Amino acid sequence: MPKNFNVRRWLMLSPVLAVIGVLFVGGLALAAAQSLGYFAPLGESALTFRHYAALINDREVYASLWLTLKLAAVATFISAVGGLALALGLREAARRSRVVNLLLQIPLSVPHLAMAGALITVIAPSGLLARAAYAAGLIQQPADFPALINDRYGAGIVLAYVLKEVPFIALMTLALLARLGDEYEQAARVLGASRWQRFRYVTLPLVAPAVVSASLLVFAFIFGAFEVPFILGRPFPAMLSVVAQQRYLDANLVMRPGAIALAVFSTLLTAALAWAYLRLTRALLGLERPFIL
Amino acid sequence: MIAVSGVAVIPLLLLAARSLAQSWFWPSLLPPVWSIRAWQYVFSPTAEVFPALTTSLTIALAVTLLAVTVSLPAARVLAWQEFRGKRAVIFALLLPVLTPPLAATMGVHALFLRYGLTDTLIGVALSHLISTVPYATLMLTGSFSRFDPDYEAQARTLGADGFDVWRHVTFPAIAPGLAVAASFAFLISWSQYLTTLLIGGGRILTLPLTLVAFQRGGDEAIAAALSLVFLAPAAAAAFSVARFLKEEPVGKI
Amino acid sequence: MFAGCAKTKPTAGLALTAKQFNRTGWEEIVARAKGSEVNFGMWSGDEVRNRYYQSTVAPAIKQQYGITLRFVPTGDVADIINKLLNEKGAGKTAGGTIDLVWINGENFRTAKQGGVLWGPFAESLPNIKHFAEDVRQRDFGTPIEGYESPYQRAQFVIAYDTARVSDPPRSIEKLREWIKAHPGRFTYLAPPDFTGSAFIRHILLFYLKQDLGGTAFDGKFEEQLYQRAAAATIAYLNEIKPYLWRKGETYPTSPKEADRLFANSEIDFTMSYGPSFASERIARGEYPATTRTFVFEEGTIGNYSYLAIPFNASNAAGALVVINHLMSPAHTLEQGRELGSLFPLILESLTPAERIAAEALPLGPATLPVAELARHQLPEPDTQYLERLEKDWREKVLRQ
Repeated sequence: MPKNFNVRRWLMLSPVLAVIGVLFVGGLALAAAQSLGYFAPLGESALTFRHYAALINDREVYASLWLTLKLAAVATFISAVGGLALALGLREAARRSRVVNLLLQIPLSVPHLAMAGALITVIAPSGLLARAAYAAGLIQQPADFPALINDRYGAGIVLAYVLKEVPFIALMTLALLARLGDEYEQAARVLGASRWQRFRYVTLPLVAPAVVSASLLVFAFIFGAFEVPFILGRPFPAMLSVVAQQRYLDANLVMRPGAIALAVFSTLLTAALAWAYLRLTRALLGLERPFIL
Repeated sequence: MIAVSGVAVIPLLLLAARSLAQSWFWPSLLPPVWSIRAWQYVFSPTAEVFPALTTSLTIALAVTLLAVTVSLPAARVLAWQEFRGKRAVIFALLLPVLTPPLAATMGVHALFLRYGLTDTLIGVALSHLISTVPYATLMLTGSFSRFDPDYEAQARTLGADGFDVWRHVTFPAIAPGLAVAASFAFLISWSQYLTTLLIGGGRILTLPLTLVAFQRGGDEAIAAALSLVFLAPAAAAAFSVARFLKEEPVGKI
Repeated sequence: MFAGCAKTKPTAGLALTAKQFNRTGWEEIVARAKGSEVNFGMWSGDEVRNRYYQSTVAPAIKQQYGITLRFVPTGDVADIINKLLNEKGAGKTAGGTIDLVWINGENFRTAKQGGVLWGPFAESLPNIKHFAEDVRQRDFGTPIEGYESPYQRAQFVIAYDTARVSDPPRSIEKLREWIKAHPGRFTYLAPPDFTGSAFIRHILLFYLKQDLGGTAFDGKFEEQLYQRAAAATIAYLNEIKPYLWRKGETYPTSPKEADRLFANSEIDFTMSYGPSFASERIARGEYPATTRTFVFEEGTIGNYSYLAIPFNASNAAGALVVINHLMSPAHTLEQGRELGSLFPLILESLTPAERIAAEALPLGPATLPVAELARHQLPEPDTQYLERLEKDWREKVLRQ
């Protein structure tokens, strides 16, 4: 035991470490074991990489992986830009009134399942927008309306996330702005910086930690999310977690180790992407500790 | 500002209209017939909605309490102390936040099967800790780190004992953060679908599971009414901590 | 709900073995089951049916047998079978949380092969005499051997709106021509949805029969036969694909989604295994009142659903009593009146009064007469056809 080992400190940390150690690390380890040839219900008991090898030859996995990366990246990017713009636009209003925060709060507290359901009512080809277009004489039948749900571009999925994540990123940014105050910007103004210069060299670096960490959370969340693509996606290609879930719960138990392998792979990939993102933003923005949580 | 309120409120109004509409077919912009049939079903004692609501609330409240209790001491240490291994602890907390929970949940499923925890309320609640505890700890760490531990020391020099210090000095200072972390944990647990499905085996029926059953097989008016029932406690949790909102956003991503 | 979540302790006498059951008199089983609780796992997507079971069936069983019937709703019965397989793998052979499950076809075969069913019991139940011999023998080609009891009867029908389509395509060939003449107006549910899977199976049966020429099709799986018919089926489905709703880029994945598309004129047809489904939806204001149903001239697949008992049921005795009640003329007649379900029993097995009641069961506005359905009924082919075709569809139609 090291000389300065502090029992009290580790005692205080132990409940959290126990939860993470058993449920997350333990769960992940057990999942990895099951995907590596130790899936007891099928009588497997020897190390094998065949479930991973099968993923490499699986066209559905490639299509699904590409779709997942694409939709998560697009939705995150739109949410980050939109959230930042919204925060800056509402900054003055937010300082004066709490209503802004409250309003941004609403979409945040709407669970994804409810959001997906509400979206269908609005943007489906026979939804309210299409009916308004029909009433205005713009379209003759539902099929004339652009496909926004279960569509090939994943527009419905992206829209559902953007509606929820823009307010999230805006609120994170507003919280940081409120803590920082506007002294730096005032100083820059006094020194004769233009509006653009103040944004580029003062405000942006100030809010970058909030935007970077929030968008990382958003990306990781969308990458692993299930409900929205389950309801608004297509049967093929489907997002990774939908494919993994369907295979896991397939009536044929033989599918299960492969499903677990897919989930483990997706965990490793997201961890790697998060690490790369943090390295990249550190290099570009010089952020040391991007987490404001 | 108006646009923001529009985006925020319109979906709720639409769900309300949908839950009261009957035979609302293309191309009518307004429902031809209004009916409270869906709401009657939702509130009827024979429907599975009420038990699902109680199950969801029980699990979410238990998870919130557990997550906050477990996180408080750790957050205090992480915010105020520098020590070897701290980075590793932070890393361990970030991993569940930055990676999809599905793989770990599958492992937990196998683990719980062995100990008879699948299909039980306790098993489901425990599995919800995977996603709630890291968030709660990280958020509370933020709250503690904005509070100067010297205040505690000063209070102690003035003769206050440990409990008094907590009650009169530390707690009031971190209360906003605590409320926000708690409502965050509540919302995460409340909205959980896939984890509950896997660990609860369809036996522990929470509101999200009931809602999906109706979204996929039931009728649209009931699904809309259920959506509103589903988001009401979530909104209530968010609004009840509204006065602390300057500090942190409340709500699941 | 909460009581149900607690671990159910196996009570002596309730968790009997099939051997013990066959040695015990029926009166004795009914007496033992009195005061017990039966957990019934069933698909829960139908609000009207849920309400009927909870507010009518459960109280009737409570009153008649003193058994508390609790429902374990599931979005997919396969989840329950999975859970049982898991429990078997984990060695949980007693004290299970489900005593009774509503099942058929693929799920039955998986469950029977996995050894997670309790039995044989069906042929020893008093009310088995009301069901036809073939229904008691095979379920989608899988030999039943007493591991499940016949319960409800279903037949595939297609719904259309007479306000939009005056003359629906009543055969597989005419359907192909209709789809090509009306691009974007037809689609089917993506298998493995039950109904979507049945739709593509109709095409397969059509080509199977064509391939066999005059020879009768016995429903048994034959690799060569399957491959020839499947190739033609896949070709048919790919031929219509560009003319489907959304050009076949996506398919509805749940019955609810198909209902919404049909009601809102995005598509002109929906399908179901419940011959009275369209009438029910008209009554709920979900389908236009002008909706009607039809069956193909070649016939449509009819099947039975069954009741089975999990291997680790805590209350097999109670489950047996409930099953026997659900198979009774009294219950099936009432269900016919309340839900419009197709009457599943052999008329000859009934008392004169029951028979009159069965013949007088009301039909909804969109429901076809029982005789017309019976004239057009095709048996389910072996479940291997279903599994292979679903897989081939995924690889050769969906992913193309």
